[in-house]
Amino acid sequence: MKLRARLALTLGLATISLLVLMGWGQSVLQTRLRTEALADAALHRMESGGRERCERDPASWPTWQGRRHGPPRRGEPGRRFRRGPRFFAYDPDLRSRNPQAPPFPAELARRLEGKEVAATRSRDGHRSQVAIRMPWNDGPCAVLLVRARGRPLWFSGAILAPAGLASVAVFIVALLAAGPVVRRVRRLTEQVQRFTHGANDPIDVRGDDEVAELAAAFESTRQTIETQIRSLRDRESALRNYIANTTHDVMVPLSVLQGHLVSLQQRIEAGETLTRDAIVPTLEEAHYLGSLLHNLNASARLESQRGLPYDDEIDLGRLVERVADRHRPIARRRNIGLETAIPEDRVVFRGDLTLLEQALGNVVQNAIRYNRAGGHVAVVLEGKDAGWSLRVIDDGPGIPEGDRARVLEPSVRGSEARTRHPHGMGLGLHIANDVAKRHGLRLELFETEGGGLSVCFSASTAPTEPRRT
Amino acid sequence: MNDRVLLVEDDAALGEQVVRALSQAGFDPHWVRDGDEAADLDPNQFRIVILDLMLPGMYGLDILKRYRRKSEVPVLILSARDDTSDKVRGLKLGADDYVTKPFFPEELLARMRACLRRPTLAQTERIVVGKLRIDLSRRSVSTDKGEISLTPVEFEILAALGRRPGAAVTREALVDAALDPAQDGSRRTLDVHISRIRNKLGDAAPLLQTVWGIGYRLSDGS
Repeated sequence: MKLRARLALTLGLATISLLVLMGWGQSVLQTRLRTEALADAALHRMESGGRERCERDPASWPTWQGRRHGPPRRGEPGRRFRRGPRFFAYDPDLRSRNPQAPPFPAELARRLEGKEVAATRSRDGHRSQVAIRMPWNDGPCAVLLVRARGRPLWFSGAILAPAGLASVAVFIVALLAAGPVVRRVRRLTEQVQRFTHGANDPIDVRGDDEVAELAAAFESTRQTIETQIRSLRDRESALRNYIANTTHDVMVPLSVLQGHLVSLQQRIEAGETLTRDAIVPTLEEAHYLGSLLHNLNASARLESQRGLPYDDEIDLGRLVERVADRHRPIARRRNIGLETAIPEDRVVFRGDLTLLEQALGNVVQNAIRYNRAGGHVAVVLEGKDAGWSLRVIDDGPGIPEGDRARVLEPSVRGSEARTRHPHGMGLGLHIANDVAKRHGLRLELFETEGGGLSVCFSASTAPTEPRRT
Repeated sequence: MNDRVLLVEDDAALGEQVVRALSQAGFDPHWVRDGDEAADLDPNQFRIVILDLMLPGMYGLDILKRYRRKSEVPVLILSARDDTSDKVRGLKLGADDYVTKPFFPEELLARMRACLRRPTLAQTERIVVGKLRIDLSRRSVSTDKGEISLTPVEFEILAALGRRPGAAVTREALVDAALDPAQDGSRRTLDVHISRIRNKLGDAAPLLQTVWGIGYRLSDGS
């Protein structure tokens, strides 16, 4: 239902209810006035000689009844009744000596008990009946019954006309006052509908009433939706870039791998006897490809959420063993020694198992990948739960001091990262650094004694520099 | 103890490669490709179980749960997913370790051997590494040529290495275990002691190996 129609219906119902209430009030008031008027008329009549006449001849009193004396004259109580009231006299036991008098109504007798005046309506509802107990309480005329024709009116013109006019005026004023509100609601509806259909205009929130509050709520919702849509678009764009970068990153080693396999096939077809070393680049590229996919997965996880998705107890010694076992086949084929040292007591740390393993794996892989044949890599875990350090030491070419901080920066991810620089200037060290930060660890790069690199993860309380004894 | 290995892997090519690697390493592989079939087997018949997670039929972790109700056999999970929850759940459910795909067969064998070795790492009073025997309670060291006379510091160094045969031990850990940092606790002093121990070990000296970047290791190369 429209707002105006609802308002009109409400006002109509309220007006009708008010008029009914006023009519009822008027009816009650009229009944009371009628009773008082009849009682006054009866008393007046008895006090102006009626009592003497009644007690003298109770069987025929009142003598004017039946039009012998006519109705009350102007100014006399009871004049307002069109056909005049009829009087009947009764003794204190409510018995009349006038044979024309009706039996005293039982309901009226009940109401009169203990009172001076009582009133009822006749059974047909057309007459008022009033019983008045006279100031004297004996004789045949101690109680008078007065009957008068006519029912009280619910409405009279004096009340109905102003009430009706006032109601109509209120009705019109209310409808006129609702006009601006209705127009604002319609305008708000149109603005919301336009937004629903793609327009991005701000919603008008002027005003300080409930409509303005509703508009402000819509505007707030519109802004939230707009922000979310922008975020989704950004994510979609980032996803497209990610897929493009990933495709490129995967295609390059895959192409290299294919090239190695084709080369091997050609050498076999040419009857060449292949040595063990011939297969090493192929295996290394396959290993790199696997690591790259794990890194891309880790990168996607890190970019999609803040903090750490998992917080579990990790046995760092087992983690070191696992990472070393993963890279040992490649290290062995490249004639690089990969050793580990783990304390006798377990070192336990809370964090994300996959990410920590990937971070350490990246550092170890770099240490192997960019080392020389016959080189060394050592993974050393030292300390206890409260403070520990995990160092990956190699005797490879190292990283110049000026470049060490830069290789950990996230900005190197991108086109520059696609070129495989020594010690993973692309994704690997960046992921390791990000993972370390999220675990509250420090990741630092030092030069080893022989000019190689030492990459150190450390919990805050552990010494970072290798301990000199 | 038998050398039977239960391999639960649905991929035919990978399964064949692993079976070949296990056979070449001297194990007796039993290959099952279906989760439901694997769940019905008695794990106690095997020395170790290699369990893939994504299987037709019953899920790998559910198989692990079922195995753990009736057996303590080592279980090594093969995981193709980088999902931490699967690995952590697996370890919490009683898996001994996991290997993430792709992997070299050597990596799988190394993790298997680590799983099988772990229960035997309990403290022992008599350590045997190659021809070298260390009696921790009697504080004596001997080879097949007789007892070797070592100073207390030299014995502590050798004992610290012998307690974890095959494992590299850092110089710092050896210094902490055998030397007094206030007096002679330096790496150079340690190297001098190591040199003297090697001299005293004679033809067992190659068992005491230098590990680049770490320290030393007592190992017969196995």
